[in-house]
Parts: sequence; C-alpha cells; structure tokens
Amino acid sequence: MLTSKKFNRFATIFLAILVCLTVFPILLIVMASITDENTLLREGYSLFPSKFSAGAYYYIIQQGAMIFRAYGVTIFTTLIGTVISLMLTTMLAYPMSRKSFKYSNALSFFVFFTMLFNGGIVPSYIIWTRLFHIKNTIFALILPNYLVSAVNVILVKNYYSNNVPDALIEAAQIDGAKEMQIFWKIMFPLAKPVVATIALFTGLSYWNDWTNGLYYIDDAKLYSVQLLLMKIMNNVDMLKSNISLGGAGEALAQVPGTSVRMAIAVIGVLPIMVIYPFIQKYLIKGVVVGAVKG
Amino acid sequence: MQTKVKEKKSTRQKTAPLFLIALPGIVYLLINNYLPMAGLFLAFKRYNFMKGIFSSDWCGFDNFKFLFTTKDAWIMTRNTILYNLAFIILGTAMSILIAILLCELGQKLRAKLFQSVLILPNMLSWVIVSFVVFAILNADSGFINNAILKPLGIEGVSWYTFTGAWPIILIITNLWKSAGYSSIVYMAGISGIDKSLYESAALDGATKLQQIKNITLPMLKPTVITMTIMSVGRMFYSDFGLFYQVPQNSGALFPVTQTIDTYVYRGLMENNNIGMSSAAGFYQSIIGFILVLAANAIVRKLDRDNAMF
Amino acid sequence: MKKTVVTLMAAGLLAGAIVAMPVYADDYDQVTFAYATMNNLPTEEGLSTVQEAVNEITREKIGVEVTLKPIGLADYTQSVTLSLQAGEKIDVLSSIYTFASDVSNGMLYDITDLIDEAAPETKELIGEDWLKTCMYEGSLYALPTYKPVASHGYFVCRQDILDELGIDVSTVKSAEDLTDIFAQVAEAHPEMTVLAPLSQGNLDEGSLWYGIDYLSDSREKAYGVLFDGDTTVKNLYESDYFMEQSKLVREWYEAGYIMKDAATTTSSVSELMTSGNYFGHFTENGLMPEDLAAILTSLEGGGNPITVIDLREPYISTSTINMVTWGIASNTKVPEAAMKFLNLTYTDPDVLNLIIFGLEGRDYVLDEDGCYGYPEGQDAATVPYTAALSNGIIGNAFIMHRSVGTSEEDNEALLEANKTATVSPALGFMFDSTDVSIQYTAVNNVASQYLPGLLCGSTDPETELPAFVDALNAAGLQDIIDAKQKQLDVWLAENK
Repeated sequence: MLTSKKFNRFATIFLAILVCLTVFPILLIVMASITDENTLLREGYSLFPSKFSAGAYYYIIQQGAMIFRAYGVTIFTTLIGTVISLMLTTMLAYPMSRKSFKYSNALSFFVFFTMLFNGGIVPSYIIWTRLFHIKNTIFALILPNYLVSAVNVILVKNYYSNNVPDALIEAAQIDGAKEMQIFWKIMFPLAKPVVATIALFTGLSYWNDWTNGLYYIDDAKLYSVQLLLMKIMNNVDMLKSNISLGGAGEALAQVPGTSVRMAIAVIGVLPIMVIYPFIQKYLIKGVVVGAVKG
Repeated sequence: MQTKVKEKKSTRQKTAPLFLIALPGIVYLLINNYLPMAGLFLAFKRYNFMKGIFSSDWCGFDNFKFLFTTKDAWIMTRNTILYNLAFIILGTAMSILIAILLCELGQKLRAKLFQSVLILPNMLSWVIVSFVVFAILNADSGFINNAILKPLGIEGVSWYTFTGAWPIILIITNLWKSAGYSSIVYMAGISGIDKSLYESAALDGATKLQQIKNITLPMLKPTVITMTIMSVGRMFYSDFGLFYQVPQNSGALFPVTQTIDTYVYRGLMENNNIGMSSAAGFYQSIIGFILVLAANAIVRKLDRDNAMF
Repeated sequence: MKKTVVTLMAAGLLAGAIVAMPVYADDYDQVTFAYATMNNLPTEEGLSTVQEAVNEITREKIGVEVTLKPIGLADYTQSVTLSLQAGEKIDVLSSIYTFASDVSNGMLYDITDLIDEAAPETKELIGEDWLKTCMYEGSLYALPTYKPVASHGYFVCRQDILDELGIDVSTVKSAEDLTDIFAQVAEAHPEMTVLAPLSQGNLDEGSLWYGIDYLSDSREKAYGVLFDGDTTVKNLYESDYFMEQSKLVREWYEAGYIMKDAATTTSSVSELMTSGNYFGHFTENGLMPEDLAAILTSLEGGGNPITVIDLREPYISTSTINMVTWGIASNTKVPEAAMKFLNLTYTDPDVLNLIIFGLEGRDYVLDEDGCYGYPEGQDAATVPYTAALSNGIIGNAFIMHRSVGTSEEDNEALLEANKTATVSPALGFMFDSTDVSIQYTAVNNVASQYLPGLLCGSTDPETELPAFVDALNAAGLQDIIDAKQKQLDVWLAENK
C-alpha cells in the first residue's frame, strides 16, 4: 500500500535524482565557461578544473559593448510581445471553445493549419518589410512569428471547453452581459492557469529568439541578447570553416573557442535562472493553487 | 418567413460579436502565416532571381525527385518516423510523470526549485547541447571515457562511431532537453481538476496510485490527445540540431541519425537550391497534414468531444 | 480549403503590388555596395564618415554615390540572397564560393560589354585568362578578386620540437617523408598528439595533392576531377592515388599520430595548436613559407616558434581563382554606375583602403614602411571602423596597405607567382550542375558519410573505400562525371 506520505517522499526522491541528472551537464557548461581555454583542451571538461579564467566573459563583453543595451531590448520585447500575445491568443481561443459558435470548427482548422504549412522565410520577409516596413524597428522583434502560436491557441481553447461550464456563460447572458464583457470579466480571469502556462511559453520564445533579429535587424542598437550572442558564435564557426579565406586564420586565432560558447550559453540563460523563481511565484501560482493537495 | 429572418438575425447576433473577438487573431494569422504560404509555389518552380517568385518557370514535380530517387529514402523516412514515435510516447509519459510528481509536492520550496531546474535545458540551443554531449562522450577527454571507464580499467569507447548507442543517446538527450518544459502543460491540466474528486476518493480509501490512475490520468486525456495530434502533424519533421549537431555530423552514425531534414541539408549545402528545399518542406507538411486528418478522424470516431475539428 | 485558396490568391496580388523603389532626389547615381566583413560591424558614425569619404572620391571621379553595406561573413550569402529576393536595393555583391549557383540562379548581371565601357582598367589588370573563370556560356558575369592565388601545400609544425630532436626537414619533400618525423616526435613526446585536424573531419592532407583540378567542386568533396594535365574526367576516390593517400593516413592513425576524434572534434586548429598539445597540421596558403611561419608563430604558437615546410607547388584551376568574385545584381537599375564603382575597388587604392581600413589617423595609422597598424591604445575591436580582415575578399589585394612584416618585394614575388604557377588545362572551365542536381544531393550525402573517416584515418580504406565508391556509384556519380566530361569537351573545343 502506498500512503500519501510515502508517495510524497517518493516524489521528492525521484525528482531530486532527475534534477541532479539534469543539472550535471549544465554545471559542466558553467564550469567550462570559466575554465582556462588551454586547460579545457588539455584536460577535458571537468567540474573541478585546475585553472580558471574569465577570458571568455571578457571577450564577450569586449565584443559586445552593447550587451547591456541588448538585455534591455530583449526584456522590452519579451514583455510587450508576451502581453500582446496573451490577448490575441485568448481572444482567438474563446470563440473557438463556444459550442454555440457556428464557425468554431472552421476556426480551429484555420488555426491548426498554420502549424502544418509555412511558406518559408522569403515571402514572410517580403510581407513584413515591404508592406509593414518593420525592418530595423523594434516591431521587427515583436510582430513576426510569435504573437499567435497554434499550439497556445489550442491549449487555451481546450482549457475553456473542458473547464468552463456552458451554464456559466448562459447565466451571464441572461444577466444581459455582452460577449466582450463576458470575455473580459469572466473568461479571461478564469483562464489563469493556462494563461500562466502560455505566458511562460511565449515569454521564453521571445527571450530565446534570434531569427527575427537576424532577418529584420541590421542596426546594432536593436540587437537582442540572443542575436548578439548568435552573431559572435556564428562568426567563430564561419571563420573555422573558411580558414583559407582572407584574414580568417588571423581572426580565428584571436577568439577563444570552446569556453566562449559556454559563456554565451550562460549569459543567455543566467538572467532567466535568476528571474525565474520570482516569475514562477506569480505565474505558476495559478497552476499550483489548483493542484492536488497531498 | 418572418420567423426565418428572425432566426437568421439571431444567429448573426450570436456569431458577429464572437467573430469580432477572434478577429485580431485571425488577421494576424492571415498576415503572418497565410500570406507567406504563397511561397509554397516555389516547390514547383525553378527559381530565378531575375524573374522572381511569380514569374519563374514551373517545373512540375522535378524539385521533389531528389527525395525519392535515393537509396537513403527508406532509411531517412524510417528514422524520422521511429524517432518521432519514440519522442511522442516517451516524452508524453515522462512529462506526465514529472507533472504529477511536481504537483504532488505542491507549493513547497523544493517543488519550485525542481521545476526551475527541469525547464533549464530547454533554454540551451542545440549547438550548446551538442557541446555538452561532446564533453561527455568524446573519445580522448570525454567524461565517460576519462572519468568513469578509465578508473575502472575499461578501455574507452569510441562513442561517435558506435551506431548501436545512438538511438538511446538521442532519445535521452531529447528527453533531457524537453520533458521538463512540456510537463508545464500537464501541470496546468492537473491544476484544472476539481479537488473535491480527490477528496472523496481519499475518503473512499483510494490510494495515491489509484487516484492517479482513476482521476488524474483520465482527466489529462484531452490534453494528451491534443498534444499528440499536434505532434503527429510534425511526424515527418525532425529537429535538425538534434540529429546533425549532437552527433557531430559523424558519418559512421548515418544509418541511425539520418533524417529527412539532415539529408536535405547535406544534399543542398553547396548549392542553395530554393526550389528543392521548398519541395522538401512541402512534402513534410503535406504528409503531416494527411496524418493529422487521419488521427483526427480516428479520435472523432472513438471520442467525439476530444477531436480537434 | 476554399479559404486557403482565396488567401493564396490574395498573397499573390499583394506581393505583385510590392514594387515601389526608393526615389533619390540628387543627380548622382546611387550604388549600394554589399561586402562581407570578418571584423565587428562598424558603428553607425564610423560607417557614415567612411562612406562620405568614399563618396567625395566617387562623386568627382565617376559621378556616383555609394551606400556601403557591410555584412558579417557568417550571414553574408543568406542576407544578400534574401534582400535580392525581396527587391531591396543591392547593386554590387560578391559570391563567396557560390559563383556557379549564383549565375545559374540568374542572380548576376551580364557584364560582357559593360566591362569594356565602364571598367577597361580592371579588365586589363585581371587579364583574359582569369576573367575566363567567371564566364558562363560565353558571357562574363563577375570579376574574381585579384590576390595571391598561387597556394602551396604546407606542413606547419613546432620548430622547438624539431630542434630538440635534431630533425632536419630540408630533405622532406612529400607526405611519406613525414612518417619518420611523426614517429620520432611521438616517441619523444608521448603526451602530445602529432597531427591536429584543420577543421572537423578534415586533416587537410588534401592540401598536399598536386595537379588535381576539382572542376568546380571542392577539395573536401570532389566528384569527377582531372589529374595532372589530362583532360579525362575521373573519379578521384576510385584512383590508386587516393587509395595510397588514404592508406598513409590510416597508417598514421593506427600509429596514434592523429587525434582519435578528428572526424568529430569541435575545436579549431588554432585552439589545438595554442594548447601546446599538438605538433603540427597541414594547410594550404598563398604566402611565402617564412612569412606564414612568422604569422603563425604569433597566432597559434602559444609561445613556441612555428616553422612551415613546403611540400607542394602551386597549381591553379578555375576554382582557385573564382572562389570569391564580384558581380552586379541582375535587377540593378544602375549597371553602369555599379561597374564604374567596382572598377575603382580594383584600381583606386584610396577607395579600396577606405573600405578596408577606414579613415587614416582615426581607424588606422601607417608606419615608416607603409604597413598599417591601429592607433595608439586602440585595436581592431575598438576603432570605429575597420574591415581589415576582409583583405583578399574585396577588390585588388595588391594595392591595399600591407600588414606589418611584409614588404613591397613580397607583393611583387606573389604577383610573379600568380603568373608563373602551373595551370590546369581546364582553367576557365566552369561546370553547370543544374542537370545533375538530384545526383548531387545524393552523392553529397554519401560523401559526408564516408569521407571524414577516410580523410582522418579512423576507418580502414581497404574495406571502406570500396564501399564508398560503390555507394557513390549507386548515388549516380557516373552521371555527374559524364555530364562534366561532356561540358568539358565542348569547352575544350571552343577554347582551343
């Protein structure tokens, strides 16, 4: 017989093991980023390297004097993008979930279809740059790709259909509430757990995005953190594979290799590691509040 | 006559406001997703810069041929499908397990800590992941050969040529990177379950396992079905980074690492043939589309409420 | 579904309507010059001042105003392609390894007549022989960069270890001769790995192969080549020559001279060498051995002296010359102005040096020998503008400021070497792979599967090489060879 208490203990132990397995490679990355480049090559990756060096971080800061600005750009786009995305997503999902809505099925298909087919970067690029002129503006980091994701819409739609009884809406209608009011006053607040989830998903996709920047941003002032880091990394790769081109050999010898990549990973993820517990408090509250009490 | 008009009007009254609410999202999808689908034409064209997308010459299915006329067609299709199946099944099981256990710990500090750590790998790019895997597996200074096998007096394994190990390595790597992250969806699902169900079950003397089996899992079914149908749509796609960068492009491993995406990349690397790469994407999408329709039809038959459309 | 069709049509109409081009009010033709840089992108201020300085010259000389568009080398090809597809203004662009596909995709403007009108000096400078490498079906589409191309095959290694073991390298003439040296080094320094791979899966022992024309393919993956002056297209991998080379590398591998993970390593050669754990590596380079040794000592010696052993004479074929070319976008509105500007990048040191080094005094200084350096307290990463590492990928490398330690005589020697090097009988021939593009995708995959193992010695050529050849043939290699032979024969007949 498995009692609650035992199960709780089992959960703790099992997850603790899983966490250790998960965290080990991440620790390797962190240690590698502060290991001396030569030591890394000579002795391999280790949790306890014999010689430390901050060279990789120094290199990145020197390369991107604008790294702090880039953090600003990333934080701004992540916040604005996520908020707009939450609006659009829940607004699109709510009618889909209403059984009385004639086009709910058609709309589901319309949304789902976008998950399957995409026309590639060229037409998207033409539309966003020639019709909407977003090139080299902050909008380029917000508008393309991430505002409405089919997965998120469907998650919210399912949440509504499974968790919100029709009676609730009917009651509101009888009280004379307009659809818009029903959505804002009742449906949006009700979606808290799932909104928290998709906020996290969307926020992370904005945080991690560098493709929008790569295509639509030339102006270094609008580089996001990930784009900046990606550019540094891509350049190292490109130099490596074109060693016979121009001054590539010379350029390459000036960059520390492996440890820089590791430092790049740390710089990209670190702020999330720091901020996450705070966000989690608010975001996952919705999720965990309703959760099973042991 | 009169009543009919009235009826019509009342449906419109019901429909129009709802439609308006959905409108911003619809417009966005039209601009961001549907307009660019014009690019799918490229799959049937021989692209020429002077002529542009619309005036380039049609070439029928020529761009598709390279996907089928190769001996590797079978291997890459088989690998793509099998890995996706493994990811769907194991990934779902693992995510649900993590979600259940995390919810079990409730609001405790360690639950937060565990969750933060478990979603971390998802934030690393595949390039970085490939470096980590290399750090663990490489023959000369890798962690396994150097720190585990050597002290035991076992001779190091050349992991990057050891075909048999890679299906497992790839599956573990993928689980490591994504299971914690996908568990969030299931945590949200669990939180939506009415707590009184558990309370009354507990009163009836149901054990934890029975509660999970009889309450949690059935209540998660809709989410599982939705997530699975969505994954089925990506059945012919593979994560390029996982299959190209993580095995370090090692030739010896091709029989177990070659997927449609890596084949296309390696094939077109040297000449950027826009038509042929569009054709590959089109092929992957259309098969995904068919599979989704089929999966949806099956779900519809068995369990109407959970069908997607 | 209906909805989709309607949307697709709407998309077509919309995209059709997007044709507006920016309008300029002034009298000068506007030319946008997109070039790859390996340095950091310049600051806005740094770029605009350099651009203005270039324009002061171009307005007067050719009545043209230029917009400089530096793009990081890693993004260059993709970025330019995307811009051209979207109809953005780029007039002058370079093809970096992509000349053949750029021509067949219709990306480049036919400059056969334009060069006579707008760039006769450059035409004379580069010469007919070199220009032939940028011709396709009788028309000229680009200009090759003008730079030292007479590359030697070198073995680069640690001088201090040679000295310590008393090894005399003057008798070393071929790869086979190196085996002895490797053995001595391995014995005296068991902690070292003798050979470092140049990049992932590539020892680059191929840089020692002499007299092979890869016919528009690369040395790393060659499907159908010409051996030493012959004009019959052959499969390199089926040749006895390749078998011998593979066996030699295999011998090295089995003796433990090559790092076990050479086929999959993630470290670059300079990282490996600097670590002091490696004895040497192969490479191909156009510089003189002494100059290269001096540069490499500072770049990858890690405090130890580096020496360079010359093992292969230069051999020039089409792809040696058209590796990086400059052309005009096929949709340009100002072909003539673009050509005139391109002409300046080959003939006007002031224009070229502005683009490469920026403003004298602010971005760079010249020493008494006329070599460039950075101003006091500054370096490449801190000056407002520099593209110094793009030397050799823009215009004419011989009229640029020289780097420290080189002399005018070196330049002349290199220029001379360009002219005297042995050339392939197919110099100027370019293979159009359009008709065999399906076979190419298949053989590319086969080659990525087998080649790294063979080139790094980690697989046994006795069994793997025949398997590789079979797989290539099954993937349609013969079609490629036949197509090459056919086009080559036509070309030879026309160019006799």
